[in-house]
Amino acid sequence: MTHLLDSQTIQSRLQACTSKEATFKELVALSNQLERLTDEDKSEEHKVKGCESAVWLIEEHIDGMCHFKADSDAKLMRGVLVAVLSLVQGKSKADIQAMDLVQELTQFNLGSYLTSSRTNGVLGILKKLSS
Amino acid sequence: MAFSSNNIRSDFPILKVTTDDHPIVYLDNAATTQKPLAVLQSIQDYYLYSNANVHRGAHFLSDRATSAFENARDTVANFLNAGQNSHVIWTKGTTESINLVAYGLEHLIETDDEILITSLEHHANLVPWQQLAFRTGARLRVLPLTSTGEWEPEYASYFTDKTKIFASTHISNAIGVATPLADMLNEAKKVGAYTLIDGAQAVAHYEVDVETLDCDFYVFSGHKMYGPTGIGVLYGKSAALEILLPYQTGGEMVRHVAYQATEFNVLPYRLEAGTPHIEGAIGLAAACDYLTKQDRPELLKWEQNLAKTVYDELYLDPRIEIYSPSSNTTLVSLSVPDVHTLDLNSYLDSKGIGVRAGSHCAHPLMEQLGVGSTLRASFACYNTKEEAERFCEVLLEAIDLLAD
Repeated sequence: MTHLLDSQTIQSRLQACTSKEATFKELVALSNQLERLTDEDKSEEHKVKGCESAVWLIEEHIDGMCHFKADSDAKLMRGVLVAVLSLVQGKSKADIQAMDLVQELTQFNLGSYLTSSRTNGVLGILKKLSS
Repeated sequence: MAFSSNNIRSDFPILKVTTDDHPIVYLDNAATTQKPLAVLQSIQDYYLYSNANVHRGAHFLSDRATSAFENARDTVANFLNAGQNSHVIWTKGTTESINLVAYGLEHLIETDDEILITSLEHHANLVPWQQLAFRTGARLRVLPLTSTGEWEPEYASYFTDKTKIFASTHISNAIGVATPLADMLNEAKKVGAYTLIDGAQAVAHYEVDVETLDCDFYVFSGHKMYGPTGIGVLYGKSAALEILLPYQTGGEMVRHVAYQATEFNVLPYRLEAGTPHIEGAIGLAAACDYLTKQDRPELLKWEQNLAKTVYDELYLDPRIEIYSPSSNTTLVSLSVPDVHTLDLNSYLDSKGIGVRAGSHCAHPLMEQLGVGSTLRASFACYNTKEEAERFCEVLLEAIDLLAD
């Protein structure tokens, strides 16, 4: 199981970024935290629709808690995935569904990385997490 | 006199915009160009001093608006060397122009006829023909041009007595290569096909002379040649336009209407239903005037030198694959096999450099090139050598940061 940074740490790191360039570099650093999926796991079935880059998301349940694995062919998206998954990893489905993920994600100060055409893709990921 | 962007940059106030303290470097000109003050002023003047609906009013402002609107048509006709101004039909843009022709010619297309396009087309010059083929039972064929755009003698066999329509781009939007228009049009004429050239990527750079080209239709958008969005042109020879059935009907395009039947108006109005995009036409004419005032061969050379600067700087780097020609192009399309183009795009953006990452509305061409998406830096007359160099410098930084 991937040990990701907790969402508080990720949030404060991203909130400290005061330019697009700083955010870019932080997302690149975060992307290295993501355990990559195998080629078999990167199947059509696991693909999240509507993303500009390819994104795969796998959900597993251990003792009633959700554990997600994800990957993307784009590095910045892998950084975004680390941030997103930190919000939901190890929580119950009911807890995840009770969260306002869009609101939570705005705390990450992703600014233009979410306001651009990438938004729809990320919204697709959030939808899949709580479905 | 040699062209230099230094003399015209102040015509484009938007170039002074900054982001995160970086001056913007706008290299997405193949998607849309910025607009010079002369174009903005023409639109504002129209609304300040001439606004009224055209053609039907009999009052001072309507006369003024009509003459500005029809003068704009004259300007575009001259810009293309189109002879009569009735050869110029206003549309929303390239895509609508092509759809107008695809629907307008439908009554001439029969089962087993052939519609020939090339492998370098934007979806706008592909999907309307594919759909026309679906509707009529005709066959869509693809002339397999390579990414060098050279004519090969065996291509002649693609033009047959079944070829009813031949449509090709003038310049590829995705990789910037020019197609072998003269050879292709020559073959198309031999078999009597209607010919349409998509000039969306050509008009801002090349002096287009439709009489010399001798195609039936030539289409382009205003916004890719310093004009406003929402306006485009369908040029057609008289006979070719006459054969088109109107694909939209309603006001402006009629001469007399009764419940039993409608008598359509003459060209160009017959193909322009509804109140036209008046300020768009006026703005586009201002863009034509703006370009015509420049030394256009020198302007083209300037833009080609910028693309050449990028090509020369990057082509030896083993990490970079370039899909554009080494010269005679105004854009550079490339990929870095180990790095996602969206990531490269994001880093460039963080430094204020605007380019485009994606398939450029040309999925089949991307497949032919064996690449999912490319990063495209496309140049306009206001770009500088410093900007071209800055693009290369930041791209190389991005690759260093992103390569595993």
